[in-house]
Amino acid sequence: MITLEFTPYQVVVPLFGVLMIVYAWNLVVRQKKTIWEGILWTTFWSAIIYISLVPSSLQFLSALTGIKKNENAATITAIGVIFFILFYLIMRIEELEQRLVKVVREKALSEAGINDDSHTTK
Amino acid sequence: MKPIVVIPAYNEATRIAAVIRGARQYVPDVLVVVDGATDGTAHIARDAGARVIVHPENCGAGAATMTGIEAARRLGYDTVITVDADGQHATADIPRLLEAVVSQKADLVVANRFGRRNNIPLIRRIANGLGNFVTFAVTGVYLPDTQCGFKVFGPKALAEVDLRMSGFEFCTEVIREAARRRWKIVSLPSKVVYSEYTLAKGQSFASGLQTACKILLRTFLR
Repeated sequence: MITLEFTPYQVVVPLFGVLMIVYAWNLVVRQKKTIWEGILWTTFWSAIIYISLVPSSLQFLSALTGIKKNENAATITAIGVIFFILFYLIMRIEELEQRLVKVVREKALSEAGINDDSHTTK
Repeated sequence: MKPIVVIPAYNEATRIAAVIRGARQYVPDVLVVVDGATDGTAHIARDAGARVIVHPENCGAGAATMTGIEAARRLGYDTVITVDADGQHATADIPRLLEAVVSQKADLVVANRFGRRNNIPLIRRIANGLGNFVTFAVTGVYLPDTQCGFKVFGPKALAEVDLRMSGFEFCTEVIREAARRRWKIVSLPSKVVYSEYTLAKGQSFASGLQTACKILLRTFLR
């Protein structure tokens, strides 16, 4: 009889990955993502799930980078988390930029006499 | 059909009048979105016969283009032709691009600067190739010249388009919108004139890389 043993990491990460894939396709159905983006997103999270379930699949990286100890892997993970936070902050800044652009746009259109309900021509 | 030419412009005082005159030979209504310019572009554009909208701050080519599109919608136009303000595009090609929309072959027409024997510097060709590749990677749509500012938005595209990217990356966002909303896209060859001026004004290879990173980042975190 074969017994499968999973670490908590190997349970949480695949569940989170599946959740992200479902979320991505939910966005596709709601037409907020394209099908292509849904496929990209699915590929990305499937790879993460696979790596979490079969960590030995990354042994070639160990040979490539020389990272062999768990402590090094933890450092790399921490750097990954920091990068993710950085990307998240960049996105927040871009959102703020978009809001600013909307304000500038409305001001510019209003000053040009082109309001939302106006259908005047030159 | 009620078309209007939209020209996003930033410090193009020396070029804008000629571009407006060229466009008005084919489409009487021209709208210039002056994007925080400080060199009198707005004044010159008005004198050349264009309607002018002024962004009080520089927001980027994408933001200016979307302002022009929004203005066109509010003013009751059903077709928008976007042209760069630096004079690199041949406005004589406007009727040919418009024809694809009139004949309902396309909702979006994108000019292809590489479809003719244009004298385009190698670095520009490489940067454009990178832009095409990134656009294909994030949208699944391949076009020979995704980063060209010379486009025609037909009635369906004009009604639906919603650009959120402010900078040059909006060109890729237009293709993404086309894929997402299933517009018919047609790419037509067009003449382009590169000069030292247009090369200095346009995207550099470094800014092209920055644009590519922004697009990839947005695609994954959207």
